[in-house]
Amino acid sequence: MLTTPVKLWRRQKKVATHIGRVGKILNWTIIRVPPKAFHHEAPYPVVIVEYENRERTIGQLVDFEEGDLKKGKRIVAILRRNFSGDSESVIAYHIKFKPYEKI
Amino acid sequence: MRVNVLGVSTTEFGELWEKSPRALARQAIQGALNDATISSNQIDALFVGNMLSGILGNQANLGSFFAEELGVPVPSYRLEAACASGGVALNAAINSILAGQYETVLVLGIEKMTDSSQDDVTSGLMAAGSDEERMAGVTFPGIYALMAQAYIDEFAVSEETLATISVKNHYHGSLNDKAQFRKTITVEDVMESGKIADPLKLLDCSPISDGASAVIISAKKKGKKPVYITASEVASDTLSLHDRSSFTSISSVVRASKKAYKKAGIKPEEIDIAEIHDCFSIAEAIAVEDLGFSKKGQGAKDIAEGKMTLGKGKVITNPSGGLKACGHPVGATGIKQIVEITQQLRGETDSRQVKNAKIGLTHNVGGSGAIAAIHILRN
Repeated sequence: MLTTPVKLWRRQKKVATHIGRVGKILNWTIIRVPPKAFHHEAPYPVVIVEYENRERTIGQLVDFEEGDLKKGKRIVAILRRNFSGDSESVIAYHIKFKPYEKI
Repeated sequence: MRVNVLGVSTTEFGELWEKSPRALARQAIQGALNDATISSNQIDALFVGNMLSGILGNQANLGSFFAEELGVPVPSYRLEAACASGGVALNAAINSILAGQYETVLVLGIEKMTDSSQDDVTSGLMAAGSDEERMAGVTFPGIYALMAQAYIDEFAVSEETLATISVKNHYHGSLNDKAQFRKTITVEDVMESGKIADPLKLLDCSPISDGASAVIISAKKKGKKPVYITASEVASDTLSLHDRSSFTSISSVVRASKKAYKKAGIKPEEIDIAEIHDCFSIAEAIAVEDLGFSKKGQGAKDIAEGKMTLGKGKVITNPSGGLKACGHPVGATGIKQIVEITQQLRGETDSRQVKNAKIGLTHNVGGSGAIAAIHILRN
């Protein structure tokens, strides 16, 4: 549903520029009713992040513990498996975030 | 500016499994023609507001599709602006009249959502967001939940206070025979409903609905209880919430409403009634602040105190029940808002009539605020 191989290929150059960047959580929620492609992941937190250069993006928080899900928490962008349509389709990788001290 | 509203009509909103999009359109179009007491050959053009037909129904070319139901082969246009498709279609229709291209036009807002699964509707609606948001696995309830979280933190507002917005809108909806939900609910009902995206719960969210609404507008005056549109403004903003400087104000709404007030020559405190785009409870709290009805951070608290409730308040918001209780067939919503305000200004809304209503406003938002259409009407 979400993507095609060529869209992933075009997107991945930009995705790569995020890896390893450090920032902080500006805002968060927990998605309990997810889109179809993320059914196997729910519930999961989604955070708005501000990198050190003030640029912002949005993504999932992973490898976290209770207490990490709060404003101001320092995070780092990592590459993670995101979803795949079915066993035949391309596996989409994308940026997610984890608490910074865990690197 | 002064564009006359000649006729209005809306279908019932809800899970209308027996009705096709064509049947819904026919009902709304015929209702508006009857209300205006004109025939279809007096319509110069058709404007259609719809978001999801191409995605969910595999039907594009909606201008021609619905012109068939109008029964005359007039120039026809389909406009898409996510959940603001109706308001933006009306804005384009008004501009066509002001430009002198057409004299009398019909604007149809329509959406057929319940033919599809919840998964398909959820991902279809996310077409209104950005690629970054889709890749993050966030949903529209999730994006508004991010705003709600920011609002609760910034202004020390409780979830219970936010819940009163749904309670008010269900009370108003209980008085509307076109509403999807015609029963009252309590704060406890909202608090006990399942979490969708923290802190939003099921009863903070508007439903998935079918419905169609139509208005006929004209440069010509007609009818015994005239209502006219004195301002029609649209503004846009970034697709993504995270690219905006504030998560607790929607700048497209602020900009479009400021322009609209100026064009209409009025101040926010002169508005008697407003149909607000309450796709989520938090959306109405933020909207009443952005529109100037409440001070910053006071919107939810004002609503909780009854300041916008029928029979109590000074400005009554969502007398129809809003998106929450009346229902939210996305392309129809912006037009249904005009239908409600017109009927209120004519004094035709029975038990939910706002007494002495003279000036009304509609607030229709697409995406998480990426586009807003504001209209001001008076009698």
